[in-house]
Amino acid sequence: MIDLIQMIVNGIAVGSSYALMGLAMVIIYKTSEVPNFAQGEMALISSFFAMMLLTSFNMSVYPAFVLTFVFAVILGCFLEFAILRRAKEPNVLGMIVITIGIEMILLGFVSWKFGAEQKTMPFPIGPYDSFIIGDIFISKLEVLTLVAALLLMSVLYLFFKYSKLGLAMKATQQNSVAAQIVGIRTNRILMMTWGISSLVGAVAGLLISPTIMHPFMMWDPMLKGFAAAVMGGMTSLPGVVIAAYMLGIIENLFGGYISIEFKTVVAFVIIVFVLCVRPSGLFARHYVKKV
Amino acid sequence: MKKGLMLVLLVFLTFLLSFAPNLFAEEGVTDTQIHLGQWGPQTGPAAAWGNVARGTGDYFKWINDNGGINGRKIVYHMFDDGYNPAKTKAGVKELQEGTGMFAWACGVGTSPGLAVRDYLAERNIPWVGPAAGSMHWVNPPQKNLFAVYPLYMGEAKALVKYAIEKMGKKRIAIAYLNDEYGKNGLRGALAELKAHGMEAVEQVSMEAKDSDLKPHVMKLRKSKADMVLMWTTVGHSARIVGISKAMQFAPQFMSTSTTSDFPLMMNITKGLWEGVITATLGELPGSGYPLLDKYKKEVFDKYAAKEERWGVFYYAGIIFTEPMIEGLKRAGRNLTRESFIAAMESIKGFKGIGPEVNFKPYDKNDMYSRQGASQTFLVQCLANGRAKQLTEWMDIK
Repeated sequence: MIDLIQMIVNGIAVGSSYALMGLAMVIIYKTSEVPNFAQGEMALISSFFAMMLLTSFNMSVYPAFVLTFVFAVILGCFLEFAILRRAKEPNVLGMIVITIGIEMILLGFVSWKFGAEQKTMPFPIGPYDSFIIGDIFISKLEVLTLVAALLLMSVLYLFFKYSKLGLAMKATQQNSVAAQIVGIRTNRILMMTWGISSLVGAVAGLLISPTIMHPFMMWDPMLKGFAAAVMGGMTSLPGVVIAAYMLGIIENLFGGYISIEFKTVVAFVIIVFVLCVRPSGLFARHYVKKV
Repeated sequence: MKKGLMLVLLVFLTFLLSFAPNLFAEEGVTDTQIHLGQWGPQTGPAAAWGNVARGTGDYFKWINDNGGINGRKIVYHMFDDGYNPAKTKAGVKELQEGTGMFAWACGVGTSPGLAVRDYLAERNIPWVGPAAGSMHWVNPPQKNLFAVYPLYMGEAKALVKYAIEKMGKKRIAIAYLNDEYGKNGLRGALAELKAHGMEAVEQVSMEAKDSDLKPHVMKLRKSKADMVLMWTTVGHSARIVGISKAMQFAPQFMSTSTTSDFPLMMNITKGLWEGVITATLGELPGSGYPLLDKYKKEVFDKYAAKEERWGVFYYAGIIFTEPMIEGLKRAGRNLTRESFIAAMESIKGFKGIGPEVNFKPYDKNDMYSRQGASQTFLVQCLANGRAKQLTEWMDIK
């Protein structure tokens, strides 16, 4: 029984980082219907930027993190403005290919600029400090990640539901032409979406960096975040968070009781299954566009 | 007409003769140069071992600045394969068939090396010192391939033997990477356990891209192991030790020489690597070993990039190529692949900064005709990141 509870706790803990990456992907998808495969590397470059401020400029943690968040927003806006917006007659496939290109450029840049040797980021909480309740443990950093994921989901949910800007973003996704007709500057909306998404990704990156930092550190969280987004529904913020936790728990239970060798594959089996059974995801409303 | 034909023939012959030095020379060797290649992961999951190839490059620069070898300078061609066997194969073929390498040095990783082993063997292109202690290099032995890295199986045996005989450990678990590198360590550990009439209490495998290792550590904890042997990547090993600490699971950890760069391990585990015992493949920094100090002063201080660190992985790039340089020197001015292989076979009792190296004339039934090193010694990580030597060099076969 203790093992089962521990596995569920582990699943929730790891699900938090998937949730943050999933949220970042969903924010962009909600407005542009483009899955952003550069999401992981955008978070990566923000994390290394923070590391640079901490180690090369000897800044203390909190100002460095604030500057990193500003950097992340500017990075997201810049990528949208300077690259995606320049695409001629863009279709979804073309945009996806562009995001893959951005991913490779950012990955190459980080490897070149910061080197490939593993390192860890200084952080107020040690990555292996933990709370122990009875025989169950959870690391303090994971609790922080959990709180950050739930907090960001709530804030973003309220933002999309009630704020003017959030509604404008929703409108841009549902009908970009109509949104323009009623005076929404869709280009600006898209740019802001990329900025917000990059900020959420940076939060995930900063919470992963105290454990280990290297140029490929965001691959696994990004892929699992994408899996969670597909599973939960690419347009549902609570859906992606619930799916991320489900994914973390399923992975851990599968690894614990069935096969640890195939634990990593579970996420992708789930993607295939969900796409076959419920293509719009478990928690998203299925929209049919009328023509 | 005859005069015209003679003229054409003369021009054609002159044209052919102009190629003569290259027609009869060995591939990758000119009057003044020897072309040597190497791959190494400068990016990707195994990038922590990327400084092996950089260490070799700096060592070759030092050789060149000290007169080269028999009047020739080494031209070093290194490429980043990202620890991806497909990239390794493509890169080796491109350099071999495009530029033409005389021989290949080191090359990090069992899987990347396996991707090109047969390609090099079929062409009898010498390959010295693969930077991995895999049985695949020497079982069966290949005429062109000279292994310098002590076998992982031998390292694993030495570690398990020490745990049982010197530390009295009774419950040994193994965490290994699910590839040939990890399985080589696993086989060695299981063989040594069997020799002591024991079995592993748990065997946990992991994939290179796994980042959540809590289920793996839970299995190890459940096994109540008093010693956990890790045959994984640097990052995995760091996480296993860290998560174990978080779970209040505190066995003796032991690990392969690939994690014996203690300053690096202490840095990425935030000090939790203290007390971990590993095998190692070279003399220790600060041990006062004269040749190692010389390399530090004349190779590292002079040629290494500013951000480079003097550590085990960096000078492993020298350890694996010292016998190659010795072979090139012994082959003399008339350098061909055959003369080089014969020179390598003549190396006996060679001691650089790594284990003693001995080769023999090729014998397809004797893997030690091509496995030059079979020594290792064990070290324990201290609080300051330095290594405490636990044993002398041990011969493990």
